[in-house]
Amino acid sequence: MKRGLRLSALLPLLLLLAACEEIDCSLYNSVNMYACFYSDGSAVAITDTLTISTGSSERVLLNRMTNVGNWQIPLSYRQDVDTLLLHVAGDGYQVTDTVWIAKTNTPHFESPDCPTNMFHKIVAIESTHLFIDSVTIVQPYVNYALDENIQLHLHSAP
Amino acid sequence: MHSTRIFSCIFTLLLSGLVAVGARGKDRLGSEDVLIADEAPFFGGIAVSADLVGFSMKAFSSKFANMEVAGRLNLMEKFFPIVELGVGDCHKSGSENDNKFEVTSPYFRVGMDYNFNKKLNGNRLFGGLRYGYSKYQYDFSAPDFADDVYGTSEPLSLTDLDGRNQWLELVVGVETKLWSVLRLGWNVRYKFRLKQRTSQYGEPWFVPGFGKNGGNTFGGTVNLTIDIGKTARKHIKKKTE
Repeated sequence: MKRGLRLSALLPLLLLLAACEEIDCSLYNSVNMYACFYSDGSAVAITDTLTISTGSSERVLLNRMTNVGNWQIPLSYRQDVDTLLLHVAGDGYQVTDTVWIAKTNTPHFESPDCPTNMFHKIVAIESTHLFIDSVTIVQPYVNYALDENIQLHLHSAP
Repeated sequence: MHSTRIFSCIFTLLLSGLVAVGARGKDRLGSEDVLIADEAPFFGGIAVSADLVGFSMKAFSSKFANMEVAGRLNLMEKFFPIVELGVGDCHKSGSENDNKFEVTSPYFRVGMDYNFNKKLNGNRLFGGLRYGYSKYQYDFSAPDFADDVYGTSEPLSLTDLDGRNQWLELVVGVETKLWSVLRLGWNVRYKFRLKQRTSQYGEPWFVPGFGKNGGNTFGGTVNLTIDIGKTARKHIKKKTE
């Protein structure tokens, strides 16, 4: 018992070792809406040039990408509705569809040491129909998860 | 902040040394009149204690501290039902940004210690269990919360976010008699969460009474105790006279 009590006095050393501070932020700390193109029920890629910009501030979110089947863009922190301009250009043609995304914005924090972010819930989505046939919401919650949030169904080829 | 950590280290080491020396001295004294704890009275008195580490951390402006006092009963020198009441306090700033987390709320724990020392020599070797509960409100602010893509910036300030936690603690500790009714001891605790309810905005960085939030964590206290009431030793001495 005596020896045990003496040895046990060393236990606080273990406690001190366990008290080391560490910063553990999420590895995936960017919040993006994930969208995919579909045609006739199958995933497709737009082989021509795709540019996506915001309707309000005219900031370019995706610039002249080719062979795009899916894309990720951040949503705004403050607006209730984001407007996206999807501009497709090919040989001798260019066409622009507008997509409106209605959403709620919820601030999210993990720790004072980690960057603060904004999570969203998509409540409704609409678009014009020049090359987009319809838009559906698959996963309304936009957060750290890399889930497919929306599907853009393109007009079938004639 | 570093000076607080250094102080805590020195303080803990000094106290553990003191406890070890005390335990050694008591074992020597007890060698002549070792008594079996089974002879102890059913009710051996009450004790009140304070955790010196929590109050010291607060005094030295540590970013967090659990300041607590406890009351316990002594049953047969073996079983020690205990209630611990405290206030958890945390003011934590981000190490690489201006984010701030704050909480100051009460908590309690109830449980029981068991004394594994069979000799009545003033020393106690405890193993125990605690159930802890805290209902608290916490604040989080991020003054530089900016939307770089859309070019907006607005400070984020979330106040009075509600949270509740329940947890269990496995306790191992020692305690020795310093002088008269004064006792000193320390314990280490493995804590694990049972249940948590927090705000949709985010979990608290610190839970009062539990410590840094997570599924499990380690903790400990250094207790200065006043033992009131008849001790087992006195009881048996009277019995043999």
